[in-house]
Amino acid sequence: MLKKLTQFYYPKTVEEACLQLANAKEKTSVLAGGTSEALRNDSTIEALVDISKIKELSYVKSDSSSIAIGAATPVQDIYKSDLSGVSGELLKTAAGKIGSTLLRNAITAGGNLVALFPWSDLPAAYMVLDAEVVCRKGKPKRTVPVINLINSKPAAFLDKGEIVAEIKVPVFKKGTGASFAKMSKTSNDYSLITVASRITIADGKIKEARLAINAITAQPVRCEEAEKLLTSKKPSAELIAEAAKKAVAGLKIRKDYRATEEYRKEVCEVMIRRSLEESIAKAGK
Amino acid sequence: MKLNVKINGKKFDLEVNPNAMLIDVLRDAGFKSVKSGCNEGSCGACAVMIDGRPKNSCIVLAGQVQNSEILTAEGLGNPETPHILQKSFVDHGATQCGYCNPGSLISAKALLDRNPKPTEADVKDALDGNLCRCTGYVKRIEAVLDSAKIIQKGTKGNK
Ligand SMILES: Cc1cc2nc3c(=O)[nH]c(=O)nc-3n(C[C@H](O)[C@H](O)[C@H](O)COP(=O)(O)OP(=O)(O)OC[C@H]3O[C@@H](n4cnc5c(N)ncnc54)[C@H](O)[C@@H]3O)c2cc1C
Ligand code: FES
Ligand code: FES
Repeated sequence: MLKKLTQFYYPKTVEEACLQLANAKEKTSVLAGGTSEALRNDSTIEALVDISKIKELSYVKSDSSSIAIGAATPVQDIYKSDLSGVSGELLKTAAGKIGSTLLRNAITAGGNLVALFPWSDLPAAYMVLDAEVVCRKGKPKRTVPVINLINSKPAAFLDKGEIVAEIKVPVFKKGTGASFAKMSKTSNDYSLITVASRITIADGKIKEARLAINAITAQPVRCEEAEKLLTSKKPSAELIAEAAKKAVAGLKIRKDYRATEEYRKEVCEVMIRRSLEESIAKAGK
Repeated sequence: MKLNVKINGKKFDLEVNPNAMLIDVLRDAGFKSVKSGCNEGSCGACAVMIDGRPKNSCIVLAGQVQNSEILTAEGLGNPETPHILQKSFVDHGATQCGYCNPGSLISAKALLDRNPKPTEADVKDALDGNLCRCTGYVKRIEAVLDSAKIIQKGTKGNK
């Protein structure tokens, strides 16, 4: 429970929200979907700035080079959007795997990235798609690779009075394939293992490889050694198997009462293999 | 704090604790169809429509619905004049203990508002957050598909 909460702010614009956060004398936090913020046990927060009703933060847009998602967009709107292409399909798949319709209507794209739980589904997809994040502090903004935000923990990365405003995802042309999969006890349960990958092929060789894992780890990670191993090689079953082995060996596995470490490791390797196979097959199409 | 909301079409001016959860505010205001199953966003028994979107009210702070419009199962119909969905749930035996029904009815209503001709897959997708421990999941799917047909026929008949 938020024991000390006394005040809600309802900004109409990003600038207003950032000002309220920057000028707050009380301990103030951002509230988006509220699905983790509302359940927090925190007896220091005194005020919340509700950004969920800011119209300029809720949209899914795309053009020939990129997809842009407003931070306060409910993830259900990504799932039900008419996005297409490699990036669009991957975002839709990942968003659709989040909880249930009732949850997806509340959870926002920005909140799903900033709260960054092991089970957060979209961040792994953002990572393999080389997404960028637009952070705003009123008018001033900076655009940073999503991996910077993730690796330095979003809460620490953002300044006082700064919010995530948009997630920007490049569009990939022919020769690229991507895959997203998660394993959980039921389709609504938190993920035990999340695997996302993207492969770009040129002249019969892997030009670019991206592999990101979550849930089995404490936060989303890129498997850079496995990516390196795949790059500039001709795809083959042996190469994929070797990359999957390498990726799993490099993971720091978190405890999860739902299944043993040994089991999850073994399944994870199989999932990575299948994910790479799927991305490669799609890239070849 | 003061909370201005419209519940089932009627304006309310409520005095609530800033950290109160919507589920409790609604039940205290007399809307007892809103049920608590898990109180952590997993079961859908507390689902209500907020500005046209069905959400779990147990993980929504009351302050998040300032000036919003809320629909609970009471707003759908009553025993004398049930909503088509409510009647269909009864006709198809999609109710036993009834605890999950207010939530699943809200999810179903949201689906039909958006998509009057849903497929079976659409219904499964829309009700994926509403657990039912009694009836299984087949009967309520039939009930929603049947309601859609009845509503379709009704609107055609009116034209
Ligand atoms: C029962 C249940 C099941 C779930 N299952 C899944 C699942 O399967 N997969 C999945 O990915 N997620 C799942 N989630 C959601 C996940 O755990 C988080 O609750 C959610 O991603 C948070 O998003 P939100 O919009 O509700 O953020 P909030 O709860 O509003 O905020 C979360 C944090 O992020 C900060 N914040 C939010 N938006 C911004 C912004 N734009 N800029 C700066 N800071 C911001 C807030 O200050 C807060 O600290 C589940 C949640 C529940 C309750
Ligand atoms: S009581 Fe709200 S989802 Fe279970
Ligand atoms: S009828 Fe009893 S839980 Fe659904």
